[in-house]
Amino acid sequence: MDSDIILSMSDIRKEFPGVVALDDVSFELRKGEVHILLGENGAGKSTLMKILSGAYQKDQGQIHLNGKEIQILNPKHAQDLGIGIIYQEFNLNPHMTVAENIFLGREPVNRFGIIDEKKLYHSARAIIQDIGVEIGLNKVVSEIGIAQQQMVEVAKALSLNARVLIMDEPSAPLTKHEITQLFEMIRRLTKQGVSIVYISHRMSELYEIGDKVTVLRDGKYIGTKKISDINRQDLIKMMVNRDLDEQYPARNPKISEEVLRVEGLERKGVLSNINFKLHRGEILGIAGLMGSGRTELARAIYGVDKISAGKIFVRNKLQNINSPRKAIKLGMGFLTEDRKSEGLVLVLTVKKNITLSSIDKYLRFGVLNYKDELKKVNHYIESLRVKTPGPNQKVLNLSGGNQQKVVLSKWLCCHSDIFIFDEPTRGIDIGAKAEIYNLMSTLTQKGVAIIMISSELPEILGMSDRILVMNKGTIAGELTREQANQEKIMEYAIGEPGNYN
Amino acid sequence: MMQIQNIRQFGTFIGLLVLCLLFWILSPYFFTVSNLLNIAQQTSIIAIISVGMTFVIITAGIDLSIGSVLAFSGVVMASALHAGVPIPLSILVGFSVGYVSGTINGLLISYGKLPPFIATLGMMSIARGSALWYTNGRPISGFSDSFRFLATGDILFIPTSVWIMAIVYIIAHFVLTKTKLGRYTYAIGGNEKAAILSGINVNRYKNIIYGVSGLLGGLGAVILTARLNSAQPIAGVMYELDAIAATVIGGTSLMGGEGTIYGTLIGALIIGVLRNGLNLLGVPSFIQQIVIGAVIIGAILLDTQLKKQKE
Amino acid sequence: MKKFLIILLSSILLPVFWGCNREQYSGEPTVALVVKTLNNPFFMEMQRGAEDAAKELELNLVIQAAEREVDVEQQMQIIENLIQRKVDVIAVTPSGSRELIPVISRANQANIPVIIVDTRLDEKLLKSDGAQISTFIGSDNFEGGRLAGIYIGERLNGSGKVAILEGIPGHETGDSRRLGFLKGLEESPDIQIVTSQTANWERSLGYNVFENILQSYSDVQAVFAANDLMALGALEALSSNREAENEVIVVGFDAHEEAIEAIRNGAMAATIAQHPYEMGRMAVENASRILKGEEVPDEIPVQIELITKASLPDL
Repeated sequence: MDSDIILSMSDIRKEFPGVVALDDVSFELRKGEVHILLGENGAGKSTLMKILSGAYQKDQGQIHLNGKEIQILNPKHAQDLGIGIIYQEFNLNPHMTVAENIFLGREPVNRFGIIDEKKLYHSARAIIQDIGVEIGLNKVVSEIGIAQQQMVEVAKALSLNARVLIMDEPSAPLTKHEITQLFEMIRRLTKQGVSIVYISHRMSELYEIGDKVTVLRDGKYIGTKKISDINRQDLIKMMVNRDLDEQYPARNPKISEEVLRVEGLERKGVLSNINFKLHRGEILGIAGLMGSGRTELARAIYGVDKISAGKIFVRNKLQNINSPRKAIKLGMGFLTEDRKSEGLVLVLTVKKNITLSSIDKYLRFGVLNYKDELKKVNHYIESLRVKTPGPNQKVLNLSGGNQQKVVLSKWLCCHSDIFIFDEPTRGIDIGAKAEIYNLMSTLTQKGVAIIMISSELPEILGMSDRILVMNKGTIAGELTREQANQEKIMEYAIGEPGNYN
Repeated sequence: MMQIQNIRQFGTFIGLLVLCLLFWILSPYFFTVSNLLNIAQQTSIIAIISVGMTFVIITAGIDLSIGSVLAFSGVVMASALHAGVPIPLSILVGFSVGYVSGTINGLLISYGKLPPFIATLGMMSIARGSALWYTNGRPISGFSDSFRFLATGDILFIPTSVWIMAIVYIIAHFVLTKTKLGRYTYAIGGNEKAAILSGINVNRYKNIIYGVSGLLGGLGAVILTARLNSAQPIAGVMYELDAIAATVIGGTSLMGGEGTIYGTLIGALIIGVLRNGLNLLGVPSFIQQIVIGAVIIGAILLDTQLKKQKE
Repeated sequence: MKKFLIILLSSILLPVFWGCNREQYSGEPTVALVVKTLNNPFFMEMQRGAEDAAKELELNLVIQAAEREVDVEQQMQIIENLIQRKVDVIAVTPSGSRELIPVISRANQANIPVIIVDTRLDEKLLKSDGAQISTFIGSDNFEGGRLAGIYIGERLNGSGKVAILEGIPGHETGDSRRLGFLKGLEESPDIQIVTSQTANWERSLGYNVFENILQSYSDVQAVFAANDLMALGALEALSSNREAENEVIVVGFDAHEEAIEAIRNGAMAATIAQHPYEMGRMAVENASRILKGEEVPDEIPVQIELITKASLPDL
């Protein structure tokens, strides 16, 4: 065996009731490398990593650490073995300081059993310096940014002498600049001999940071390649076994009259001087970096947040939209970025979620008519091809793509004709993405107008008829489908547009 | 998941049957018509206020004030009766006191943005204090037979209070499953943010739900007052805890979004059957408390175990 | 899952019930004693008395109490359940003088005799509801007050100035104690009652009221408080007051634990002890007499006792 291999997992099998989550999967990690773990949602990446971090127990297979076979009993045991994991949701106490969080549960004490603050901060400082980042150790975690919180998680893992660090989509919540910092840190760590397992969907990142990539699909091991030996298209083929070009439907937009016009919209400190129009049958893409005010714009139009100035015209009539209720009455439907916390009532059934906003339609003298309701719900389950055992399944148990279809059905039930999609395909696997795109396309054919907010440039370029690029709370530029390309959008988004118009 | 929900209800129901079976074996006095009616009658007050509690808990709230609100509306209604106000009108006055107190809870929670625990904790003290102040701490006793009929009379061999309980449960089950209010109750508790974004006027429905909880406190007060032939300002102390226990044993999640009315009825009956059976057996009072506590914990433990299994 | 529930419930319940339902004297009648609460020493003593009597008479005894002393509705439920259980006699210390009357009517309908212990029911309501009780067993508060009066008369050698701290006016217990006290003082006609004021049964009010009394009547020689809490309040007022020149004799009522302590260390002169043990005992004894068809009087006073430092056993 190669002495560089510090960790190897071979023939790992894991079953859950009714599902084989991992089927003879193997994985090798060398000292100091960044190993990308790639696969669609549900491919088994998380399960594999949870086995490695002790959260799950494997059913079959072996794990070797430094050439010795080990059994990982629980998360604490994994820590002791030098395996750290950083989940997307951080495990920090928001009311404690950075230093206190790093040593939470392992605070150095003096001989009276009292926490030795001096030593605590001293040790914390050493670790933070090791990582090479700037964080105030005295700051309370709730007051620092997401990127810094992530660094605190890393510091915490390193303070436990982690030699293997698993990072689950670490770049997802970060801005471009923060991602650069993250990569710098990762490079420093690998130089110190730490091995990184990096889970991500973002192709461009993989080439920037990765050394090797292992692809999983449907719980099976597909292959391991050196990043430098494989191109994007081939990687995607490994993941989905299908060409990417097919995923955007060919659209034949029939754009007609204006349905929404925003004039001089302002929300103090968040949005300023926003003007645009939206037409029947059109998909208006809104691009921009995180924090550029895209979601805030959607919330302002939809009546969630109060606006401090400006006018909103719906079908050429000035409207004062002071609540989501009003927006819905005017035919708007908002598909939020975070479906789980804002779009759906997870503990309720598919049926109840679909009819949530249009319940009045199934009332006869104030009494719900189950038959009418069920008919409507089944109609949408069929026509949108929502994969669910039935209308009484809790949406909790549905995949991301199907959850999005449920939200979409909810608005279709209201006969909404102005849709705001905020990150319509976030957390949705590639197969389901194509379905969502097709649905959006079909909707526009029927005369619906769509505002689509997205961080994925290919999506913006592939779907939009027109593109607004936001920067610092205002619209920095507008591009037609023909004018637009990734570079132009990016330039507007970072605030340095070239002379393209 | 629907099935799991059913199994959960089924489980509680089996629990109730097992309990009944146990007492039937152990005591010859348990399984008689008169004792079963006796249990139903004893359960009625807690069962009725548990209905309001169920609605409130499904919205992920809590109503700690219900016992005190019951006492306050009871003494106000009693004083109206003593002042010669006709019975239906007096009852209406009692209901109004309950409804207004509950609505104040609702307003504090919806527009005041107070946590339900705090708002109703405050109301618990305010309503209790009001009841004591209103009566100078003395009970108001002695009512006409036609008023007392509401608790002590029989219609078709079944106590009036049991009829009232049955009607409340049928209406509540209907409202929760077949009306907009019911659907919204679940949605608010399941995910308030999503409910707002789906166009639900969450504040308005919260006000209604807490108001109805208070109103049912007023109904509980009618039965209690008729039963004791006396309205006490110290009545209903800690009834809120019995109501919460009945609701939670019945499968309603304190996290909100889940629960059923029939589950709550089963929960209330489990507590009622336990108290009755333990009395019949002559189990020492202290041990009765231990057993009741253990059953509450056991029921919830079962719930969490089931949920874990599902995951 | 079902199994789990059954095992859970049975494992909790079965051991608990084991033996609870065994009637000690099979074939013998069962007497139930329902007290206000069992977390008060007064009622625990009552329980002991009842148990001893039941053992002697070979009767079955069930003792029940509500979880909370104020919860008269639960007490009512307990009595309803005992009626279902067809116990032969029910003895009750009512948590409410009026609220229990409906359930007593129900016991009457089931032909179960009811004995009321310690706290009287509202006579008027009892009559208007047509409810019947077999007897009332309770302390003779009047007699207790009289004993206190005689004691103070003797201590002052028949002459001196005395103050009274009353309970809430209109409260049957407090009124009897005060009237009894006045009766006991009749044997010492030279004793002067300088003032008689209420302190609402409360300790803090006992302190305030007696402090005011000391301001106006600094020569007061003795005080009778209708319960020990007020007497203890008066003691505190005395110890913080420098103007009281002579020693003041303080007599309370109830034999409260702290009062006994104060008597032991000489701060307080005397208190009147009730005998809850006797109450419990007599409740069962009279239940037995009723069951045998013997007549019992409408009211049975329970002996009451003066406690002084001399009568206390040495520690």
